[in-house]
Order: sequence, then C-alpha cells, then structure tokens
Amino acid sequence: MDVANSRWLWLSTVPVVMVVLLQAAIFLRRAWKDGKEMGLSEEKLKTGFKTGVISAIGPSIAVLAGMLALIATVGGPVAWMRLTVIGSIAFELPAAELGLSQFGYSLGDESISETAYATAVWAMTLGGTGWLLVSAFGTRHMETVRSKISNGNEKLIPIISAAAMLGAFAYFLSGEVTAGTPETGAVAVGGLAMLALLHVADSRDIQWIREWSLGAAMFVGLLAGVAIQVTVGSWW
Amino acid sequence: MYQDSFVPYVNKWGRRTNLLAVALSLGPAVALLGVFGILPPTAAIVGAFASVAVTFGWAWFIEPLSYYPVLGIPGTYMAFLSGNISNLRLPCAAAAQEASDVETGTPQASIISTVAIAASIFVNTVMLGIGAVALVSAFQALPELWRNALESYLVPAVFGAIFAQFGRDYPSIAAIGFTIALVMTVLLEFGYLAFLPSYPLYAVIIVSVFGTTLIARWMWHHDMISPPDEASE
Repeated sequence: MDVANSRWLWLSTVPVVMVVLLQAAIFLRRAWKDGKEMGLSEEKLKTGFKTGVISAIGPSIAVLAGMLALIATVGGPVAWMRLTVIGSIAFELPAAELGLSQFGYSLGDESISETAYATAVWAMTLGGTGWLLVSAFGTRHMETVRSKISNGNEKLIPIISAAAMLGAFAYFLSGEVTAGTPETGAVAVGGLAMLALLHVADSRDIQWIREWSLGAAMFVGLLAGVAIQVTVGSWW
Repeated sequence: MYQDSFVPYVNKWGRRTNLLAVALSLGPAVALLGVFGILPPTAAIVGAFASVAVTFGWAWFIEPLSYYPVLGIPGTYMAFLSGNISNLRLPCAAAAQEASDVETGTPQASIISTVAIAASIFVNTVMLGIGAVALVSAFQALPELWRNALESYLVPAVFGAIFAQFGRDYPSIAAIGFTIALVMTVLLEFGYLAFLPSYPLYAVIIVSVFGTTLIARWMWHHDMISPPDEASE
C-alpha cells in the first residue's frame, strides 16, 4: 500500500478536485448575480448558502465513515478523489471489487498485486465517467427525453432499474457469503441493521438517521464479522 | 433572464467543466503508469470496465433522468460531477429551498439550489480531504486484528446494507436475485462453468443482472409486483 498512499497519488488527485471547486465557484457567482436581478433578496441567497453549508456537515461526516472502507482497500488519495468527484460508496466499492476480480483477488485480500490495484483504479475511473458524460451531453435534453420515456412504460422503469441493481448486488453478496462465515455474518447483520434503521427513520420521519444509516449499518456488520471470527471462526 | 441568460451560461460551462473532469479523473491511473510504471493488461481493463458497465450502465442514464426534476439544470451538472447525490446534494438543495421560502420548480428555486449545492461542495471537499489524511494515519496505527477486520468485514457489511436498502421496496425480486447469484457463484467455484472461455466470472454477473431483470419484468407484466408509493430516495 506504499504506492496507494504515495505523495504522487495525492498530487494526481488535485487537478480534478480543483475542477469540482471551480465549477461550484463559477455557478455560485452567476447564480448570485442573476438571482438578484430576478428579484431574490440578498438575504434569501445568504439563507440558501448557509443552509447548504449546515446541511452538508452531517452527511459529510457520514460519508467520511464510509470512506474508511475505501481507504482500507484503495488508499487515502484515491478514496478522497473518488468520493469528492462523481462517486459514492455504493458505486466505488463494487467498481474496485470488479477491477480486482480480474486477477482473482477480492477487496480485503492480503498483498494484492500492484497491477490488480491499478485495474481497480481504472475500473472506478472509467466507470464513473458514464455519469459525467451523460450529464455533460444530456442535461440540456433531459426534459425532452423524460417526456418521451414516460410515454407508457413509466411504471416499469423503476422496477427494471431496481432489479438490475439488486441482481448486481446479489452477485457481490454471493461472493462474500461463499468466502466464509464471518463475511456471511457481516453481510446479514449489515443488511438487517440497515432495514431496522430505515424502518425507524421512515416511521418517525427522522432525516439524520437516514443519513447515518449506511455508516452505522457498516460498523454493526463489521463488529458482527469480528465477533464471529474470534468465537466460532469460519465453517467454510 | 433565467431562460435567456442563466441557463445557456450554465449549459456552456457545465458541459466544459464536466468534460474536463472526465480527462482529469484519469490522474491517479496516469500517475500509476507514469511514476510507478504500473499498467494493467488491456484485457483486464476492458474486462473490468465491461463488468462495471453491465452493473451500473443503467444508473448512468436512469439517475440523471430521475434526479433532474429536483436538482434543476445547474444542479444536475454539479451533482453528477461531485457525486453523493441522494445522501448529500438532494437533502441540501431541498433544505435550502425550504429555508429561503421559494416555491419548488420555479427559476428562483433553481437559483437557491445552485447556491446551496455549491456551498455543500465547498464543505464536503474540505471535510473529506482533512478526513482522508487523518484516517489513513489512524488506519495504519491500528492493531493487526482490527486492520484485518476493517479490510475483510467492512465491505461485506456495506454490500449487505445497500442490498437491504434496494431490496426493501422489492423483497421478492431481492430474494430471486440472491438465489440466482448464489447458484451461479457456487457453480463457478465448483468448476461447472469451465466450459466458458477464460475465467467465467462475467457469466455470473451477466446472468445475475439480466436474469433478475427479466424475471422482474415478467412479474410486472403478470401484476405480481408494483413500485412503492413513494420512492425511498
């Protein structure tokens, strides 16, 4: 992991992060100026900015908790870059796993080869550009496309995309479940914890539980894995 | 003002910055090649990309389309450049519109959400940057058991949690998908897929994704499933 946390990799992540900040600055400046001309008061704009800052703090800490999983597997700089630009834990971890699996490794294996690590980086990078390209070329046409798609099969779209997502994550789960008993325990307890947290968040309508659910479920699942490892070990 | 000046400006710069980011996001991959001389074989990169495309290709199109009405035009460029949309950008935009009392769907609301998303980007870039540095050293200082546990069990726990999150709305599809994937994985491990060329992991992914999708479509046509009343995200 010396390569993964090297100074060169930190440096290589800076330019793209600068673009993210630059775009935010350009849009903010223009929105502020045009907003005032459209009759929004300085006060409302300030409220919008302040609310954005405050509401970002909680979820950012939650993302930070999720980042630990990525740091443990692909190192600090790549984890930071992937979660600041484009990514979310729900995409980056599976993408890294798919890269490693080209060489028969899995996330968390000891002594992953440098080539396999690089393949994981390529998989995350190329996979993430899909969203960037669609948003770069597609945003101005969104309205037209939406009205075309919703013609008829509107209700089928969420089902198809949920099914594709479930099929993909089922594949990741089956890899973990066949890996050993502690892994299976981590999967099951992580899933059950998530269900319990989302149930509480929905029934009482508490937003911060929703934000923390993935981070919390992750740690509960981790503890379950450790508990099984030190007590019964692995049965398969 | 909004349609004639703001939107064209945002479209012009949004496209430029997002395309620039496509090129610059290659940074770490290029550094691995240029500084350390590490380049995976083309077949491995193509294989990895194909697996990612099969798994997430849907989301590249579905997510921008489904979040666009809430995010607005500037918000779509910004959110898909900076990521963490459902857990960070959407809540920030919604909270800001609520707090500054603008009517949802109006140009004013779009301006406010632009301001709020920009603010959230400044905050989370800084916080994650500081956090990444601190967490790397914390991780390296951990005792062996916990380092091993973080490396081995954090990922399955995250996968389990995400599967549960998606599966909550469609438990029957989740059960079917898991059964298909488990059967395929066991077949692979015991060598029953060896008749396929190279290491047939791709067969497990393709059968899991498309098998589950086809069965879900069949079930929908036979009125066995329906979408939940309210989207969970």
